Amino acid sequence: MVVYSIKRIVLQSLPVLTAGIIIALAAGHLLNSSMVEISEIPLILMMIPLVNGLGGNLGSILGARLTSALHVGTLKPRLRGQWVLRGNIAATAIISFAIYSIMGMFLLAIFHITGISVAHSLSLALAFFIAGMALSVAIIFITIASAFVSFKGGLDPDNVVIPIVTAVGDVLGVTCLMLAIKIVGV
Amino acid sequence: MARAVDVRSVVVQGLSILVICAFIELGAGIILVGMTDYFTALLGLIVMVPPLLGLRGNINGALASRLGTGLNTGMIKPRLKLSQGIKINLASSLILSIIASAMIGVFSFVVNLITGAQIIGLIQLVSIAVLAGLMSGLILASLTVLVAIFAFKRGWDPDNLTAPFMATVGDFVTILCIYLAVFLVI
Repeated sequence: MVVYSIKRIVLQSLPVLTAGIIIALAAGHLLNSSMVEISEIPLILMMIPLVNGLGGNLGSILGARLTSALHVGTLKPRLRGQWVLRGNIAATAIISFAIYSIMGMFLLAIFHITGISVAHSLSLALAFFIAGMALSVAIIFITIASAFVSFKGGLDPDNVVIPIVTAVGDVLGVTCLMLAIKIVGV
Repeated sequence: MARAVDVRSVVVQGLSILVICAFIELGAGIILVGMTDYFTALLGLIVMVPPLLGLRGNINGALASRLGTGLNTGMIKPRLKLSQGIKINLASSLILSIIASAMIGVFSFVVNLITGAQIIGLIQLVSIAVLAGLMSGLILASLTVLVAIFAFKRGWDPDNLTAPFMATVGDFVTILCIYLAVFLVI
């Protein structure tokens, strides 16, 4: 017996995909309007998949853990006295700090090797780190909010949380990176 | 009250996966830097990059999770044969790739038109999007099936492994395919 149907898969997926495309276009437009900065320092492009990809992965790990805990019942969709929630937030915060520091130092080395001055490489790597930390805070909030809201609304958070977190993460990732570059003043 | 979450093990496991993902994303970033000349010459092209990356993750994430469920429930046999279940899943994800990529091309054109950032034409944008979407769709959908079946045979839960792995590899392959598509179309 075959239970899969091409028509059903295509029709059910298109609305979510369309929403994802529209959100991600905002990130694309932001990049396009930053082309002046990017053409001056093309290495900014190197950081974009890294910031966005890591942000999406962090949100997916936290999201998958929260949705499992909600399904099993060890987590209730409220904020007070939630040990499971606190543990997961702490773990995600530690992972973010560690991964963005490690990759920041790695980027510093790459920038310097490609012939950028130490001061300049340092401020680019610092911008990467600041963007990563700001993005992590935002991702943690969005993941918790979308998991709780979808669970309370009777939706399966497994289907909702990860697409939302990755799409919003892309927009926020590019925003945080371009903002951090302006703040650090590269 | 005992700690409900083993923060240490979450951090160790999460961080090891993220380090691998980070280096693959870094590779994707290096290809993007190599495309800087295209992006500055063809202003408006970069608008499509985040939506195409996001689309890949969403289509393959959904394919991976359907395959995971199919394998776990026994609806799909873990054999490398084009059974009906695998055929329908592959066909749906390819159809979705084509429709959604064409939508990305058209939407990007509209965004560029509204914001006045237009240099690249509608037909070029749509053909780059569809070509990149189709190429990366073919590669990644087959890879998703292989990874899901391999993981299942090894006794790993494909739900935990396939989605994060495919999201990261997906970014890399998609950027490579965008590069090829731009090269072929322009």
